[in-house]
Amino acid sequence: MPEGLRDMLRVARRVVRQTLRDPRFLVLSLVVPVLLVLLLKGIFEGVPAFRALRVPIDDYALPAGGFMVFFLAYILSTLVLVRERRDGTLGRMLAVGYSRGAITVGFVLGYGALALVQTALVVGATSWLFGIDLGPRLLPVSLTTFALSMVSIAMGVFVSAAARTEGQVFPTVPLLIVPTLLLCGLVLPLDQLPAYLRVIAHLLPPTYAENVLLGLMHRGHAFADELPSFLALLGFGVALVAAASVSVRTRE
Amino acid sequence: MDALVRARGLGRAFGRVRALQQVDLDLRPGEIVGLVGPSGAGKTTLVRTLALLQHPDEGTLELFGRAVRPANLGELRRRIGYMPQSYALYEELSARTNVAFFGRGVSAQRVDRLLAFLGLSERADSAVATMSGGMKQRVSLACALAAEPQLLLLDEPTAGIDPVLRGRFWHEFRRLRDDGASLLVSTHQIDEAVHCDRLLIVRAGRRIADLTPEALLRRAGTTVHVEYADGTSEQRRFEADDAGLLDWLRGLDRDRVRRIDVRNDTLESLIVDLMTTAAEAPDA
Repeated sequence: MPEGLRDMLRVARRVVRQTLRDPRFLVLSLVVPVLLVLLLKGIFEGVPAFRALRVPIDDYALPAGGFMVFFLAYILSTLVLVRERRDGTLGRMLAVGYSRGAITVGFVLGYGALALVQTALVVGATSWLFGIDLGPRLLPVSLTTFALSMVSIAMGVFVSAAARTEGQVFPTVPLLIVPTLLLCGLVLPLDQLPAYLRVIAHLLPPTYAENVLLGLMHRGHAFADELPSFLALLGFGVALVAAASVSVRTRE
Repeated sequence: MDALVRARGLGRAFGRVRALQQVDLDLRPGEIVGLVGPSGAGKTTLVRTLALLQHPDEGTLELFGRAVRPANLGELRRRIGYMPQSYALYEELSARTNVAFFGRGVSAQRVDRLLAFLGLSERADSAVATMSGGMKQRVSLACALAAEPQLLLLDEPTAGIDPVLRGRFWHEFRRLRDDGASLLVSTHQIDEAVHCDRLLIVRAGRRIADLTPEALLRRAGTTVHVEYADGTSEQRRFEADDAGLLDWLRGLDRDRVRRIDVRNDTLESLIVDLMTTAAEAPDA
């Protein structure tokens, strides 16, 4: 096996071990998305004003769950590199010869393992809570949610590679999350947006994921119909990992 | 043999602060060079520059006989053992996992041997977060030594540890040197200079001396302070082996003298003198 690939796996394994040794982090990152979905159900089924809207909430539950995963994965992963830089472990990794590519891809793989469990929990819990029978849609829905989670991890690593302190990272959270929530198609249909906002929406990777999820769950499309959006999501993922890798400074 | 490190005119500024100015350094195989200076003298900047974690603004740097370029950073780094000033360890993970990770695939036996050598066998599987400062420092050293590097750059490795452990660290550093490694050890604890083969003394980002402890000790002199019964006193300084000292003492009026204080320079006092007074580089 090439040394670079081995290094990536070493970083990924270390990240997974670290996560497993931190039960609070683990529980929070796995339970919070499910709790948020539960909150959504409580609001849409329990508040008369929302009930009167007759939103087909079952159609939106999984796309909303996907958004929660995106939101959490982004926040958790943005702190990763900043913390490593602050503690000196990033410098130490570079000093012993880990390449920035191995470090970035290793992070994405390691936290991706967590994202896999997160996806399974969110998709499983949401379908069960809302009584949704996914049938053949189970695999594409899970795959898309997982891909979205990986993309947000890559986004987080990219942002934290450029930041020096937690203080610089936090303002990016609302800056990214609020426009994404409004523009990704979950709250407002894309075709009702003014042209310039549609352009911005298409620069945000979650838009593509939500397009797939809403296509499958709400519009009754097949996965094949949504394949271009899915591939665009993957493309964003690859580009973000590459950008994150390049933005890690090897010498300050 | 060729120098493992050859630095000429290294300079680095952070904003308006010039952390390094015109620093020259050669580090040859099998020697311990002590990087001595007060806090803020530029020691960490120099160590991080040599560890290839910071780039110099000016000057040239060769490691292992090769000019440092972006393309060979990874390859050169793999031959360097770097111990940062902070612990820089994964606190949730065990000592063993940390050493194995930073050793990038060194054998489990090597990790075990290192941990045993540094007295960490019993705590090898404990999370670093549960360890004392001295233990973390040992784990940090083990991480730097894991890949058996030829060049060791240790940034204040003995800061904040007890005297017994300090002794063990220096014993280990000498053993590594005897095995052919080169070590640059930064410290602001001047008494550690005695363990070094050569001293690089820095102040305000500049090199103010590069010499062996023996060469420095050859400058040692004696200061005599005499107090007289009438309340007056006088002080004389004599260079090393100055026969005049004895003659001067013999010439004193014994009836007038109340007290004589004779103080010989030590390595430590000479370094302090250099750090506080020297303006130019009095290289040996």
